[in-house]
Amino acid sequence: MNKFFKKAVKQTEFYVFLIIIVLSLVIQARSGLFFANNNIVDLLRSMIVPSIYAICALLAFVSTGPDVSFPMIAALSSYLALTVTNRLGLGGAPWIITFIIGILFGCLMGALNGVIIVRYKFPSLIVTLGTSSIFSGILLGAFEAERMDLPQNLAAFGKASLLTVKNAKTGLGSTLPMTFLIMIVLYIIAYLVLNKTIMGRGVYAVGGDEVSAERAGFNVKGIRFGIFVVNGGVAAVAGLCYAVMSMRYLPTEYAGGEMIVIAAIILGGTRMTGGIGTLKGCLLGTLLLTMVSNSLILLGISVYWQRVFIGAIIIIGTAISAIQSHAGVKVKTRLKKEAA
Amino acid sequence: MKKMDSNIKRLLIILVAFIIIACVTKPTAFIKIGNFQTMAKQLSEYGLMSIGVGICMISGGIDLSTVYIANLCGILAGITMQDGGNVPLAILVGLVVGIICGSFNGFLVSYLRIPAMLATLGTYQLFMGIAILASKGSTVSGIPEAYTSFATTALLGYIPLSFVVFLLLILAVTFIMSRTKFGTRVYLVGTNERAARFAGIHCNAVLVRTYMLSGLLSAVAGLLSLARINSAKADFGSSYTMQSILIAVLGGVNPNGGFGTIPGIAIAVVILQMMSSYLNMFPGISNYYRDLIWGIALIGVLIINFALDKRRTQRLSKIS
Repeated sequence: MNKFFKKAVKQTEFYVFLIIIVLSLVIQARSGLFFANNNIVDLLRSMIVPSIYAICALLAFVSTGPDVSFPMIAALSSYLALTVTNRLGLGGAPWIITFIIGILFGCLMGALNGVIIVRYKFPSLIVTLGTSSIFSGILLGAFEAERMDLPQNLAAFGKASLLTVKNAKTGLGSTLPMTFLIMIVLYIIAYLVLNKTIMGRGVYAVGGDEVSAERAGFNVKGIRFGIFVVNGGVAAVAGLCYAVMSMRYLPTEYAGGEMIVIAAIILGGTRMTGGIGTLKGCLLGTLLLTMVSNSLILLGISVYWQRVFIGAIIIIGTAISAIQSHAGVKVKTRLKKEAA
Repeated sequence: MKKMDSNIKRLLIILVAFIIIACVTKPTAFIKIGNFQTMAKQLSEYGLMSIGVGICMISGGIDLSTVYIANLCGILAGITMQDGGNVPLAILVGLVVGIICGSFNGFLVSYLRIPAMLATLGTYQLFMGIAILASKGSTVSGIPEAYTSFATTALLGYIPLSFVVFLLLILAVTFIMSRTKFGTRVYLVGTNERAARFAGIHCNAVLVRTYMLSGLLSAVAGLLSLARINSAKADFGSSYTMQSILIAVLGGVNPNGGFGTIPGIAIAVVILQMMSSYLNMFPGISNYYRDLIWGIALIGVLIINFALDKRRTQRLSKIS
């Protein structure tokens, strides 16, 4: 137990967890509404899309560097998936068909990122900025996408709910959509692949030290390319989930989601320099930022303060992890000196 | 040094080629003094921000908060001069706020060692939040005539004053980056921070000043836009963030730090502004196509630079 505790204290995730608990207790004490069933369900509901995005951001950060194109990939691939479904008259087909179409388009766009980044070794931030600009141009300029209704199959999928709760005291109800299951399934798959397969370990190896990974026999280029293809697919799923949850496709609502997601995973302990980052951290970081944006109203703080709080949390969180990693390096060099 | 010259040459060729194309295809609309005046007014704002982003990239970091520093400065200056307030004092408030914001970025990046992208990501939320608080979420207006006339007057009857400010600041920053000790240090810190430290350079102080300069440039941009659109808002011009990074890269700044020149960025600003004004002359082309073209231009320029660099290194290795 003691050993477990010692290990936990060293992890960033532990501190995020502590902050979440303190914040939730504070909100509960002030308003008495935080642990109400409808608030919890609301929180889970608003976590779904950001936490799927977080998988994209995590994979990119751990293996290569920042990827900021996932919101636009999500927007464009869901648009294409919905249009194809409508045109081919697949409205009666099971919802998964539309999702598969979307994933295919998403993978294709991810492959474009992958090719440019792997072939030329450009910084991924700049490349994905460029491609997201291209995707947004294609979506809004070439296709002139406008808001549209969902095809029957997705509309039915969106109406189905996993869980409906009603707060007895306030009379406010909220529902947990089926997309929550998609998120859970994605996280389980990602966990198994990242931790139990050689390919998944390769993702961490490539990000940790490229040369060592290559000498250890990992296909560095292949892994990086694969990551961006997978990212495209995951982003497409997130985009369709968003459309399903809002019961309508809104092309302009996607852009700009990337920065908060990146902030969330960095808060969750993912290192900018690559090689370090966990799915657990992703979930905790996303939960923290969702809590801040959802529950500040419960604290009686005006919405105007929301941005200030998010900014402060990002700065403080990243400062702590930066100082920690800096201190870690110092300890290591001291140990080395002592050993020598 | 030779490398940068070739980059500027390339940019100038693109610029001239583009002007020729524009003049041939749209002679009446493009060659008009009014057109050049609007272009000059528009480009000075994000041009200044791009230079801010550019110098941060040269130092090995990035500044994502420029737009929001500009908005915050515009709002605070606007509030100070509102309803017959003191205009010079308001301008001073704007500039000082810009310097403070920039120094805060620099402090986070250098002393606390937060990766620049994240630090400025956090401060961008923070500055925007403060701007929303200061403006109570609405638009700041009621700017005195004495100040807004700055945007409408033109030097010698033709050159808008905001463009003059832009030119002067470009000259100043070019001088700082290429002729002073500080500028050389920024390049060295961007190329190799460890080597810079061993060379006796106080890296943290250099970085703080770099971000401070970027904050100051953004503040000027904010003041210019306050004069031009006669109001300020917390979420004005959010698309400029991406645009300014794009301009810096187009202008030949290496995102990994150490390379790039201020004149290069300035030419890239002009090219981009001409392109978007030109596209605006075709009513059939939606504004959103601009995103597509800029994205392709960004990646295209990167690939071309890559290919040219490769050829040069091959030639060099043959000689040796």
